[in-house]
Amino acid sequence: MKILVIVRQTPDTEAKIQANSDGNGIKTDDIKWILNPFDEYAVEEAVQIKEKTGAEVVILTVGADRSVDALRQALAMGGDSGVHIKDESFADMDPYALGKVIGSKIKALGDIDLIFAGKKWIDEESSQVPIQVAEEIGIPQATLASKVEVDDASKTVKVTSVIEGGEEVRELKFPALITVEQGINEPRYASLPGIMKAKKKPCEEVGPDGINGDEIGISGEALGAAGSRISVNSIEIPTISRSLKVLDGRAEAVQASADLAKLLREEAKII
Amino acid sequence: MSEIWVLVDKAQDVVRNVTYEGLAAALKLKEKNGATVCAIYVGDNAGAIEADLGKYGAEKFYKVENPALSDFNPSLYATALSEVIKKHNPDIVIGGNTLKNQDYLPRVASRTSAGLSLDSIDVDINSSSALEIKKYKYSGKSIATIAFHDVKPMIATVRLNAFKPIEGSGSPEVIAESVELPADENYKVVETKIIPKERPELTEADKIVSGGRGMANGENFQIVYDLADSIGAGAGASRAAVDSGWVPYEMQVGQTGKVVSPNLYVAVGISGSVQHYAGMGSSKVIVAINKDPDAPIFQKCDYGICGDLFDILPALTDEIKKLG
Ligand SMILES: Cc1cc2nc3c(=O)[nH]c(=O)nc-3n(C[C@H](O)[C@H](O)[C@H](O)COP(=O)(O)OP(=O)(O)OC[C@H]3O[C@@H](n4cnc5c(N)ncnc54)[C@H](O)[C@@H]3O)c2cc1C
Repeated sequence: MKILVIVRQTPDTEAKIQANSDGNGIKTDDIKWILNPFDEYAVEEAVQIKEKTGAEVVILTVGADRSVDALRQALAMGGDSGVHIKDESFADMDPYALGKVIGSKIKALGDIDLIFAGKKWIDEESSQVPIQVAEEIGIPQATLASKVEVDDASKTVKVTSVIEGGEEVRELKFPALITVEQGINEPRYASLPGIMKAKKKPCEEVGPDGINGDEIGISGEALGAAGSRISVNSIEIPTISRSLKVLDGRAEAVQASADLAKLLREEAKII
Repeated sequence: MSEIWVLVDKAQDVVRNVTYEGLAAALKLKEKNGATVCAIYVGDNAGAIEADLGKYGAEKFYKVENPALSDFNPSLYATALSEVIKKHNPDIVIGGNTLKNQDYLPRVASRTSAGLSLDSIDVDINSSSALEIKKYKYSGKSIATIAFHDVKPMIATVRLNAFKPIEGSGSPEVIAESVELPADENYKVVETKIIPKERPELTEADKIVSGGRGMANGENFQIVYDLADSIGAGAGASRAAVDSGWVPYEMQVGQTGKVVSPNLYVAVGISGSVQHYAGMGSSKVIVAINKDPDAPIFQKCDYGICGDLFDILPALTDEIKKLG
């Protein structure tokens, strides 16, 4: 069995976000980058399946040179090899173009049985790319998995997914794409030997030449920003402006509570 | 004449509010481009909902019904919607940012060569007559203005609670469409469990009361539930409370939990970390209850009480009940 995990490098959750001088992106110089927190669950799930079945785990990412760190972290957690799609012309791709580029590379890799991804990219605040990848390669998907049961013999996977108001069990035939919910497992820390080993694991770098546009119905020059459907015009950093009316309830809890209830009723008109 | 489509979302037999919020977004766009606002239902049985849709602004109602859509299979839903889009060529398609829409609209976008942006907090038509939306990026720390290129359709989902339904009157012209759906051997729904909820779903709730590490254990959450029930609110939690095993993950609000924008958010025994704020910072009114006067949440709230939550919470519930 062969499993592929799509990962993304994102700014650290604590990172201070500032607009860049063009005003349509963010300043990246002082940012600490991490593996998208949700992707850790996807990598862990794949590695656990590998430990049970001997599957091979390929980690794939798209992004600037620095993204290799996210790739290496996933390899240190137990991935076997990496694919790093990188080129300046890929920098401004929207999810539509990304879905096509990642999809075409996965098609070219061939014989992948399962694809895992985190449920959301915290930088883009979006969950759409993995699904667009599934569509491009023509395979089913189950999102927000809280449980995954693989049956290699029958080439099927049973997925319990979070849905609005409850949960749903779905059975998918290989190949299939699964996005995982936080808490599906306990992602391991990469051990020191793991990190050392990860440095030596094979990692293929893929540029525009390595992506066959014909297969996905777009010409070479439309692979990057030109193949996109949307673009960011501007980024603003909202300032927090709140009224900060804090009452002291340390001595007189009941009085402070009565005052707050009144404020919420009469001033905020919210209850 | 150009059309803006709004996806109809139903829970059992009723149209969900998010549909009317989507119609409100479409009405805003219509003011700019004069397009016809249309509702579109994709599913196994629409029922008699056209009057409701008309009341909130739909001038036309496309009905795409097929028994194969009784289970939710994202691929089949995508086929159904894509076929009808290709036939009628709407300029813009709007849906609520529901889990279902997030699950199948990416496929629709790929199939119809469309742009898609999820979770918009505002929509507009720009000077190039294209859809332009605003959405949070980088975990609520920035707001991006995103313009669609001149490729139709332009598809966007809108954040729940971001638009206020606009009531009017009208009765839409109903257009029934049929689609052929091939059997899908690759995807099967085995079991659907709807777990009855005592309180409103967080992403849809108008009010939310959340507890954090300050609650000290799971039993103590009862006083959070008591306050929540006194104002008809949903109940949430910080990651610290979830990780401690006091409450289930589905209650987590934040960067790696649910993103919510209620009218009222009450944070109880929650310090106000950036990751928590990322999930609730767009709430209209934020109330904090914390015993530490230096807790960061007191720099990010509208109202607050500094004090012991075990004294404040029961008192606050009482006082609210007294107000009636
Ligand atoms: C990658 C990543 C993702 C994360 N995602 C999330 C997320 O989605 N959501 C989230 O919430 N966090 C998230 N976190 C965790 C976040 O950093 C904080 O650790 C967490 O939000 C803290 O929860 P808390 O405010 O309940 O606890 P604390 O920070 O420990 O605060 C507890 C507060 O309770 C107060 N308190 C204690 N006792 C009382 C009392 N008796 N009466 C009144 N007040 C009292 C204290 O003064 C304190 O301010 C994430 C972290 C990382 C690294």
